[in-house]
Amino acid sequence: MAEEIKPAAAPPKPAGPPGPPPPKNPGMVTFTIDGREAVVKPGTNLIEAAASVGVGIPYYCWHKRLSIAANCRMCLVEMSNAPGGKLMPACQMAAAEGVAVKTDSPKVKSQQKATLEFLLLNHPVDCPICDQSGECKLQDFYMKYDTQASRYDQPKVKLGKRVPLGKLVVLDQERCILCTRCVRFLREVRQNPQLGVDARGSHSVITTAPGLPLDDRYSGNVVDLCPVGALTSTDFRFRGRVWFLSSARSLCTGCARGCNVFLDYMRDGTYRYRPRENEQVNREWICDEGRLSYKHFNDDRVLSAKGGRAAAVAEAARVLSAHAGQGTLAWIASPTASLEDLLAAALVARDGLKLSEVYVGGRPDGWQDDFLRRADQNPNRAGLAMVARAFGMAVKPASELAAAVASGKVKAIWAVGAELPAPELADALARAEVRVVQAVNEGALASAATVLLPASPAPESDGTFVNFEGRAQRFELAYWPRGESLPHWGLAGEIGRVLGLTSRWSSAREVFEDLGRRVADQLPGYAWASLPSVDRRKGIEPLPAGTTDGRLPGHRERMPLDANGNVEWSRLPNP
Amino acid sequence: MPYTIDNRPADVRESLYFPEIFQAIGLVVKTFWRNAFFSRDPNPDILERDRTHNRVATVQYPEEKVPYPIGYRGLHRLVPRADGSPRCVACYMCATACPAQCIYIEAGEVEGDPIEKYPVKFVIDELRCVVCGFCVEACPKDAIRMDTGEHPTATYTREGQIYDEKRLLRGPPVSYEKDPWLVRPSRLTDAALAADRAAARPFSSLGADEYSQTPGFSSRTLAAEAKGRSGA
Repeated sequence: MAEEIKPAAAPPKPAGPPGPPPPKNPGMVTFTIDGREAVVKPGTNLIEAAASVGVGIPYYCWHKRLSIAANCRMCLVEMSNAPGGKLMPACQMAAAEGVAVKTDSPKVKSQQKATLEFLLLNHPVDCPICDQSGECKLQDFYMKYDTQASRYDQPKVKLGKRVPLGKLVVLDQERCILCTRCVRFLREVRQNPQLGVDARGSHSVITTAPGLPLDDRYSGNVVDLCPVGALTSTDFRFRGRVWFLSSARSLCTGCARGCNVFLDYMRDGTYRYRPRENEQVNREWICDEGRLSYKHFNDDRVLSAKGGRAAAVAEAARVLSAHAGQGTLAWIASPTASLEDLLAAALVARDGLKLSEVYVGGRPDGWQDDFLRRADQNPNRAGLAMVARAFGMAVKPASELAAAVASGKVKAIWAVGAELPAPELADALARAEVRVVQAVNEGALASAATVLLPASPAPESDGTFVNFEGRAQRFELAYWPRGESLPHWGLAGEIGRVLGLTSRWSSAREVFEDLGRRVADQLPGYAWASLPSVDRRKGIEPLPAGTTDGRLPGHRERMPLDANGNVEWSRLPNP
Repeated sequence: MPYTIDNRPADVRESLYFPEIFQAIGLVVKTFWRNAFFSRDPNPDILERDRTHNRVATVQYPEEKVPYPIGYRGLHRLVPRADGSPRCVACYMCATACPAQCIYIEAGEVEGDPIEKYPVKFVIDELRCVVCGFCVEACPKDAIRMDTGEHPTATYTREGQIYDEKRLLRGPPVSYEKDPWLVRPSRLTDAALAADRAAARPFSSLGADEYSQTPGFSSRTLAAEAKGRSGA
């Protein structure tokens, strides 16, 4: 009997694999990394996701503000959803629901070792002459993940050792690992693609277009971005070893933006600025001019007063009080001084010297762009306006003071800060009979002073700058005032004491606690302790004693020393 | 080997005392005349002295100096290259390792040399130095050694104990095969380069025994030189 042929019934729909389980945390991605469960936003990069649960994945080329290149291969990790169990670059992979990531498996470890061996294959290992040593990721990761001798017995590829790319940047092509962070920074952040990769294979080098220099105004950032010692700064080159430097959280004083920086210092000298991350202000960039703006902290300083500071302060108070209340006295404040400086000086001006208007000095305007740089080269013009408002003082430009001096109306001036917006103003102000000048640096007005008082710049005190947006930002003391100098608030306080005012301050904090409430309504939400606590770094501290040959005597961290190098306990706020 | 003390009781001759006393006086008198009438061998190496006639072991310090044993950590020196410039690249490793913080360095940049960095100032305060030798151990370039076989001389002032790079740079030059100025374009002339390359030897990664790496270099020779200088 023939089989009955039945029309084929529609096959039942195969069950198929079960669909993905619903996410453990709706709206978020939950996955495990080295056995730890991490919950992150969808699309989060694996490196950042791992960091959020305290797992460090090494990387060179990845940078959170640049595009992903995934060319250094240092961040390869094991992922449970990788095809064929391949290692995946963590910088390029987003965290996915339910995935298990391993960063410490033997496979990953051996890959990290192999990657480092390749990166170091042609690396010259000239750490003794490399400025990056001490903060070099090749050194760090070699010690952490590699620690094997090179097995390569051929001569290493020789490339350019000292290629000046621009005014601020020197390239060592042999040290370069071709992570292309510098290339991507200029292309993406600056949109000024001045650097590129030339040639192929082990002969690849970072270079500018032939004959063209790297002259971007933010070129110094590539030095900070470079994870190895390939790009070094001509300014900091060979000036010191980074492990001797301590860092203070500070602000760039080059313009009204107030970029957040680390101020690296040793003893009482500033060595460099490194940009500090602040999403609202400068992200993590800084312009070249700002990067070099620390120089006046070190050079051409006014460090002593004639006859000693105490005598000079008494003399200043005497000559100023002779003109007080008669309309022949004026004070000119520099917006390069901190908020505390200006508060203290304004108190002395109003209560001690009976002044009701303030003339504004400060540096002249410079260039401006739409990235960071502001034309106003003074870090605290907004703060000066706030102080004037708080003390009911009229704000007038320096040119009016020059006219008043020329007409003979003003016979005595008190300058808090000797910076002037135009050089000819110094000659005009020098016609006043009495010129009391608190100056940080030598200059036209400082040399024309009848009473010159040594003032200290930002790193020698705590303080606050209010940037052009009205954002108050704190900077912290790096080292104690040099020589006889004092911050403007200290000099103003000493003058005020001679004039009979009762306010006494021994630190910028006390000035702010005493007078800050006067500007509190203009600075909503600002507190003295608002400085975010990020990694302050202490360098190796040299010994406190000095020797007779003028070499580095070392210093005791944050201790004020007198002329003989002994600790001056009386100058400490809480001895 | 510890020598043993024979605690036997004195024999008759010894218990009489006088023979022993006269014997001792005789030895003293004989040695006195011997040392008085025969000249002393002035060899500073005492063990090498001719002692057949005169047996005085005294060293007339500081005119004569006993050579210190190999490994003695003497006065520092900055090791020169063949062209007289220091091997030092101002990496600050010695200054970092120094527990007494007696080394002060200022680095500078130099043109025309594959080593871009050199010490503009290299100052050691020998008064502060604790002679630990960490600087020698830390040096990655074999540029500082304590193999002079001398110790710092006495001075009337503290400044005299502060040795700058001019006083420290001395002694026989040293080169290694992989030294950058031998394998990269440098300012050396071809003849100087060839001579330097011929004298170069492989860098021992162990590196501890710097004395053995410099043939013909001995602290005794240096002591003899020092003797010649002090005699002149």
